[in-house]
Amino acid sequence: MRKKDNKVSKGAEGKAWYQAIGSKLWYLFNSLKLTLFVLITLAIVSIFGTVIEQNLPAEDYVARYGEKWARVIFYLHLNDLFHSFTFQALLAALALNIIVCTFERFPPKWKALLNHRSEKFDPNIVDRFSNSETVSLKVPAETAKGRVLKAFARKKFKTMTFSSGSDQLVYAWKGIIGRFGSDVTHISLLLILLGAIVGSVAGYKDYRAVYEGGTIKIPKADFKLRLDKFWIDYYDSGQIKQYNSLLTVMENGKEVLHKQIWVNEPLYFKGIRFYQSSYGVAWDRVNDAGIAIKKKGESDPQAPVTVKWEQLVKMPNSKYSVKLVGYTADFAYDEATGTVYSKSPDANNPAVKLEVYEGGKLVSTPWIFLKYPGIFPAIPNSDTDLVLEGYHGEMYSGISINRDPGTNIVWLGAAVMGIGFILAFFVYHRRVWVRIRGNGKSTEVKIGGMINKNNFVFEREIKEILDSVKSD
Amino acid sequence: MILSLVFFTFSFVFYLITGLLYLGHWLFGKKWLGQIATSMAYVTLLSTTMVLITRASESGHAPFSNLYESMVLFVWATNIGYLAMEYRHKLKVLGAIVMIIEFFAMLSASLLPYRYKSVEPLNPALQNKWHWMMNVLSPFGLQKYAIGWLDFHVFTTFIGYSAFAISFGVSIIYLVKNRYETNGRHNSLVDAFPDARVLDELGYRAIAWGFPFLAVGIVSGAVWANYAWGTYWSWDPKETWSLITWLVYAAYLHARVTRGWRGKRAAYLSIAGFLAVIFLYWGVSFVLPGLHAYA
Ligand code: HEM
Repeated sequence: MRKKDNKVSKGAEGKAWYQAIGSKLWYLFNSLKLTLFVLITLAIVSIFGTVIEQNLPAEDYVARYGEKWARVIFYLHLNDLFHSFTFQALLAALALNIIVCTFERFPPKWKALLNHRSEKFDPNIVDRFSNSETVSLKVPAETAKGRVLKAFARKKFKTMTFSSGSDQLVYAWKGIIGRFGSDVTHISLLLILLGAIVGSVAGYKDYRAVYEGGTIKIPKADFKLRLDKFWIDYYDSGQIKQYNSLLTVMENGKEVLHKQIWVNEPLYFKGIRFYQSSYGVAWDRVNDAGIAIKKKGESDPQAPVTVKWEQLVKMPNSKYSVKLVGYTADFAYDEATGTVYSKSPDANNPAVKLEVYEGGKLVSTPWIFLKYPGIFPAIPNSDTDLVLEGYHGEMYSGISINRDPGTNIVWLGAAVMGIGFILAFFVYHRRVWVRIRGNGKSTEVKIGGMINKNNFVFEREIKEILDSVKSD
Repeated sequence: MILSLVFFTFSFVFYLITGLLYLGHWLFGKKWLGQIATSMAYVTLLSTTMVLITRASESGHAPFSNLYESMVLFVWATNIGYLAMEYRHKLKVLGAIVMIIEFFAMLSASLLPYRYKSVEPLNPALQNKWHWMMNVLSPFGLQKYAIGWLDFHVFTTFIGYSAFAISFGVSIIYLVKNRYETNGRHNSLVDAFPDARVLDELGYRAIAWGFPFLAVGIVSGAVWANYAWGTYWSWDPKETWSLITWLVYAAYLHARVTRGWRGKRAAYLSIAGFLAVIFLYWGVSFVLPGLHAYA
């Protein structure tokens, strides 16, 4: 590479073009103006993502905003703003900005703060601060110095003493670590972004509806989940209190864990979380149905028999047995293909399909209707008809499956951010210089210094220190 | 229902009285009026605390589950924030403005339509309690008083809101005071306010409290969402607006710390931030669709 350098076109300052671009970029991302720009832009861009509802089907945008605006929305990816290139680029710019700024600013700050004590102590430095106060004491300089040191110790300052000519000088400091609060906060942001990236690369989200007794195969995992029971709890007022599923984890055919989950209480197993996310009544199967015999000439059907799903049951007072094999919540018949389907998931026109046996022989496979008993005879050429008197729907439990290995990195980032905030906002770095100048009879104590933020605290603190120097 | 209403009515009247006392202190500059006002502010705080406590015991859950309750929480947190500021910085004249605003906040809470006030049982997603807390409380039969991420989330968020509200108020007063100071005009009411320099710093200090609290609120909301909705962040409008608000205040802090924005520009940013807070608190619930029930 080195040898080829001379062939590469040079930038203005004699740098290779990539170095020139590199240093331009570095300069850009080192800019604190860019930080403000990115923060404000992120805020403004995000507003669009709240005003325009996200991830709707395309038709909805057309219906809501008209075709022209819908096209704009799609062109700018405003329908999925937070996953759009623009948004991700802004986040990337924020991250780069933080990284470059930290590289540029942290090392010199670290050095300056570590070496602060070796700064040459200039006896006139105290004259330079706006926060400064002077008192005159009727005690010798040594006594005054002792009092000053004691006052600082009481306030938990660290101190160093010097002398310059006849002047006694004290340098005191406290809360250096607060200066690193902003860096800790920035690192924590990077951690959170990292966690989000890990999650989106290595994680997945999925959803399964499962009936009681059914099992779920889990993507990319070597175990299965069985739903043992699903139920709803109600308040006395009839409002829904909670949805519950009783789950069993099955590994290699063995049951390894039982857990009841509900909204707010997921199951966590081998890095995957399972949430109670919805429920419903099946549209294509039932738990059981009440089937009754109706003899020709009689006005009322006989007492119904409960027939369970896919079970053969002998009908009393008849030569028939029936098996419940099908259900449709909203019965419809497609003439063209000759198939039965459900117009909607709602039980608008519920019907069940039976298999009717006579002496072990299948004689009929009728659909019978809850709302239209007897419109088609269930068994051809027979004086016996079958009617549907009622049924119990089958509930399913909707389970969300979520694997997100980045979550813990995000939590770690959040914890680090907490530490960063405490350091940045509540630990103030104070540096105080004191000059003690005695003239034999009386001593003049001048105290001055600075704080990186919260001047009020500082002014008060300096007063308190002076007070205790005076009164001791 | 009854006891919390009694306390609410008391608090309502107390805010009015406290506000008038502070107003009197501001108008007439009498020190004793200020002292009475401060004591009255503590009484009012106690009474507002009682509203929250009795409401919690009546509903059986933390009193942050509808707009009415969250308004009371907001008033309560702002009262604490104000008193802390008054105590630390020995400034009483701001009390007139804070307490009168508190009074109007209570008034608007009491005027809310019934459906934002009624005690409702918690829907499934809002039932989240810390297991460790249930375990600690259950030997005493108190497990029903355990709180969870949701309660923590609302509580910290509202402390943030009230700190921002204080910064907002201080910033407005700053703008007034600053105008008088730069024009060299005088008015005994405006002169009673602290120096513009002090107001500027106070506005910043309030944000330095609000910003981390809002952050804790956002994170605890994420923790809760991770239990309830299966992901810690889903770009729901409320979540997004909380982030927007937070970013505006992050911009405020950076403008101030790294670019030396003080005074007017900082005050305008603080006002912009609070407009975002208002939208976050009210606007999102009424204007935008989303998963959050209220606050
Ligand atoms: C959402 C994004 C960010 C957040 C939440 C954040 C947070 C903070 C906080 C809390 C402080 C301390 C403020 C104070 O002392 O009052 C700070 C200071 C600072 N931030 Fe950021 N920051 C963010 C992004 C950035 C970026 C992208 C840069 C890029 C250069 C940056 C550079 C700085 C600098 C230079 C300081 C001052 C450091 C000091 O005085 O010690 N920040 N930031």
